[in-house]
Amino acid sequence: MIYVINDIITGALIGLLYALVAMGFVVIYRASKVFNFAQGELVILGGFIVWYTTFELGLDLWLAITLSLLLSALAGYLIERIFLTKLIGESVFSMVMVTVGLLILLRGIVLLLFGPAVRPFPVIFPLKPLFLGEMLIPMNLLIGGLITIVAAVGLSWFFNRTRAGLRMTAVAEDHVVASSMGISVKGSIAFAWVLGAVLSTVGAMIFLSGKSLTFLASEIGFAALPVALFAGLESIGGLILAGVIVGVAQSLATNYLDPLVGGALGTVVPYLIMLGILLVRPTGLFGWRTIERV
Amino acid sequence: MDPSGIFATSYRADRRLVRTRWQALSLILFIAVLLAAPYLVGPRIVAILNIMYISAVVAVGLQICTGYAGQINLGQAAFMGVGAYTAAILAEKTGLSFLLTIPIAGFAAAVFGFLFGLTAARIKGFYLALTTIAAQFIFHFAVLNLPSSWLGGSNGVTVPPATLFGLRIVSEGAQYYLMLFVAAIMVAGAFGIVRSRFGRAFVAVRDDDVAAGIMGINVAATKANAFLIGAFYAGVGGGLWAYLIRFVGVDQFTLFNSVFFIAMIIVGGMGSIVGALIGVFVIRVIQEIIATVGPNIAESVTFLGGDIVFAGMNVILGGVIALFMILEPKGLMHRWTILKSSYRIWPFPY
Repeated sequence: MIYVINDIITGALIGLLYALVAMGFVVIYRASKVFNFAQGELVILGGFIVWYTTFELGLDLWLAITLSLLLSALAGYLIERIFLTKLIGESVFSMVMVTVGLLILLRGIVLLLFGPAVRPFPVIFPLKPLFLGEMLIPMNLLIGGLITIVAAVGLSWFFNRTRAGLRMTAVAEDHVVASSMGISVKGSIAFAWVLGAVLSTVGAMIFLSGKSLTFLASEIGFAALPVALFAGLESIGGLILAGVIVGVAQSLATNYLDPLVGGALGTVVPYLIMLGILLVRPTGLFGWRTIERV
Repeated sequence: MDPSGIFATSYRADRRLVRTRWQALSLILFIAVLLAAPYLVGPRIVAILNIMYISAVVAVGLQICTGYAGQINLGQAAFMGVGAYTAAILAEKTGLSFLLTIPIAGFAAAVFGFLFGLTAARIKGFYLALTTIAAQFIFHFAVLNLPSSWLGGSNGVTVPPATLFGLRIVSEGAQYYLMLFVAAIMVAGAFGIVRSRFGRAFVAVRDDDVAAGIMGINVAATKANAFLIGAFYAGVGGGLWAYLIRFVGVDQFTLFNSVFFIAMIIVGGMGSIVGALIGVFVIRVIQEIIATVGPNIAESVTFLGGDIVFAGMNVILGGVIALFMILEPKGLMHRWTILKSSYRIWPFPY
């Protein structure tokens, strides 16, 4: 029994990590209606920036973290300036395809810059697990979960209660209408990408803390996809619930179903959940139902 | 736009694909060059041409699904994989003739694609892109986790040579003509499909599915059909691939490969069969150049390491997709059409 509870807690915390990465999707979507397939690549880009500032530049940890966040914000800004600004007002297809192109491009650039070698990643959060009686909870995931919740609350407040956040929602609704209302579409999208890149870097810090880093870590982007869809792409608060459900389901499937079927069913479970959700309720748990009129 | 002096006097003449003597002549010349290719160029180029024919079949299928019907499909390589595995297993276990395995491979992929087409009836835009990505993951999972006596697991399946009327196709020349022949049939069929009522329904649904529904088109069925046809083409391409490489493994059909096919139709031009063929040619040539030049660069610039070919492929492919979307969203075919009409109306600007 204690193992089951342990699996559930670990699964929930991993789910919260997915939710943090998924928050990158949602923030960019909420502010610009662009779905960013390259989210996982932003995570490894952030990871390599952290590696570079701590090990190559040999900076103090806190200084390195601050610098990394600034650099990833810059990277997000540059990506938006180079690729996305030109596509304002274009079709969904163009936007999706550009981020798919970006996915491949960023992966190649990271590979060219840093090579396929396995790099160490600095220990940012304490590695020692927290013991509660017989249960043990990974400390980095616990702190990461708290960061996720804080970020979710903060960002929901920002998007739902502040003028700037509501302005961004207007941009996501319709680029042309928003800009004719005097809202800066470019500014809104740029801010979203900066935020998305920073969230991805924080995600990389939690995910990789004390582990090793290769470009294959970008798979987490695809793992976070089902969470984003489950919650519905507009809801930041919903990500927490969706993340926990997907994480727990995956953890239980990995621990109890995998030995039965003899394979990695756990890795596919989030996608099966995603397919089910898309079939039954395409807008997710908390997504907005838009009414299409002729 | 036609050259001056060409007037169609009947509807049939107006809808013809080959309208002038010059067009017929250049088509015949093109076919003659393709037929003579094994005698004109070395075995390496013949091998590249074989790959191009297979890619052409798959990319034309994707063009029908994405370019004509507007259904974003990021899982074309998975559909191709289903076809490749079907053909490989049939050829290995039952020894069926090439004439049977290839259509069956196509149908198997079509059924797999149709399942995702059904979701397409409910969702659109990038949600669809996500389900097709899920198709990609589910395909991988299925192959790697089903008992390895079925699909060979991570070891893959070796494929016996194609048999046709009791003959074994082993020589390079025979293989070349087989690939060329099947690819030619499939491409010709695609021209027919897009001119038929199915093709017109696809375009109507792509341009505005609400309006298409009002006009009496069954939108859900049309979307599912688009996936069915696109996946059928991918399956046939996969079957050819199995016979050409004589080995099928799950790593040959990744998301990366799916993106490759999308890059082909974007570069060539969305909504044009000829565009898809141009895209196949351009992308495969670029790929070949990177594969040839890459190792030399890796030798001279040592700090980059040996993975430069893969990395360079990523950078160029990603860059090409992004740049084309930003600068030339209608693809090379559009540019070619503009060039042609400005030549025909010269010296007038329009």
